[in-house]
Amino acid sequence: MSQIRVINTSLFLLLTFLIQESVIARINFPLGGFSLYIAVLMIVLSLEDRTGSLVFGFIGGLILDLSPAAQSPFGQWALAMTFIGYLFSVNRETVGDFNDRPITFISLISFGAAVSMITFLVIGVLLGQNNGGVVRNLTLIFANSFWTFLIVPIFIPITLKIRKFLLTNRERV
Amino acid sequence: MARGGGNRSRLLLVLLLVSSLFLITLDLRGVNLAGSIRSGVSTVISPVENLFSKLLSPVGNLASDVKNFGQSKKKIAELSKQVDELKAKQIIDEDTVGQLNQLKNVLDLAGRGGYKVVSARVINRGSTESFKETLTIDVGSSDGISRNMTVISESGLVGVIKSVGSNSSIVLLMSDPTFKIGVRIAGTQSIGVVSGQGGSTYLLQLLDATGEIKVGDTLVARGSQDGRPFVPGVPVGTVTTVQSNASSITQNADVASMTNLEKLSIVAVVITPPIGDPRDSLVPKPRPTATVYITPSPTPTPSR
Repeated sequence: MSQIRVINTSLFLLLTFLIQESVIARINFPLGGFSLYIAVLMIVLSLEDRTGSLVFGFIGGLILDLSPAAQSPFGQWALAMTFIGYLFSVNRETVGDFNDRPITFISLISFGAAVSMITFLVIGVLLGQNNGGVVRNLTLIFANSFWTFLIVPIFIPITLKIRKFLLTNRERV
Repeated sequence: MARGGGNRSRLLLVLLLVSSLFLITLDLRGVNLAGSIRSGVSTVISPVENLFSKLLSPVGNLASDVKNFGQSKKKIAELSKQVDELKAKQIIDEDTVGQLNQLKNVLDLAGRGGYKVVSARVINRGSTESFKETLTIDVGSSDGISRNMTVISESGLVGVIKSVGSNSSIVLLMSDPTFKIGVRIAGTQSIGVVSGQGGSTYLLQLLDATGEIKVGDTLVARGSQDGRPFVPGVPVGTVTTVQSNASSITQNADVASMTNLEKLSIVAVVITPPIGDPRDSLVPKPRPTATVYITPSPTPTPSR
């Protein structure tokens, strides 16, 4: 994995994060919210190789830690997303080719988003944080997965094109 | 070769996990790494948020409007009449007028309480992944805002300033599950604690075991030392349901907040607390109802 791709993909994730914080967060989705950023990060992680999943999981988590609204310790999302990157790197092959089964791909993205939020909460509990009641948090996580499942198919093609554009010539081959 | 690749991945995984834990440890030990970085990010994105706030203000409530479509049907007939009137009057801009009214009312509330305030516009809501109920407002340290200042709306309490950028601030809403405020019941003076529940309902725990709670009681903030994080006298909510449980040590009640946190556009940050406690002067008074007395005439008039 080239350094230039790490930088390009990080910038792409940062741009998505800015869109999430300034535009998507404004929309009052029923039940809970929708995180475009987590969905895009899950797409990126699912398409990377083992090293890529770990590196972009860590970088993606660090970017998420930048959120001005976050009251969690800096690095908590990085830890959670590194773990998620590891899960993707280990289990990606078992899911098979995403091009053949788009529904599986979308389900995986929604499920990954839910697991990442649960991981974040579990780490928060271990660190002694109070993130609210279990029912409320499960509702938020369910709502996020639900909206991810519905909305992700709209922007998967765009994300895939951008990712292809970010690959170096050698990596495209 | 594959074994070598696997070892490299494992080494990388351990390295990244250790880095994350190192960052968390630094943060928890008080190294203000996150604060300055997040403040920088807030400064960078606040102009973008401001721009999108202006562009997307009609879109923000689209989903809830669609959800409430069934309930709104009844209102359509009434609103149609009002639309005709509004068209006739050609009001410059409904949104601006609404915001002006909110601003007028919030300044009125602040004036009655003796609070010195800085008014602010809500420019964003917190992202879902933060698991926090927050708002972003368009005033920051350059406007004299600092942490732990009380934020009020035209009706009452909104929350507390949690972090401050140069041109924007994050408000922790009173609906957040970590939010707690000391209150007293207006009139009876019994004291208790109101906690956020992550939704539109709140829990009141009365500390006075002999005190009495009634449905409709109004709760006001008791205030903190030096007015931070809470200034005294701000209306917090009204009791909707009393939970009677003989085995419980404290008396509990469900509370509805004075402020609709979903529909906020103008708020005010209290930068200087009042000199004296305004007591119950900010509690909304019930509107007087007109009573008509009819005295029957002494001699009934014959009807044809």
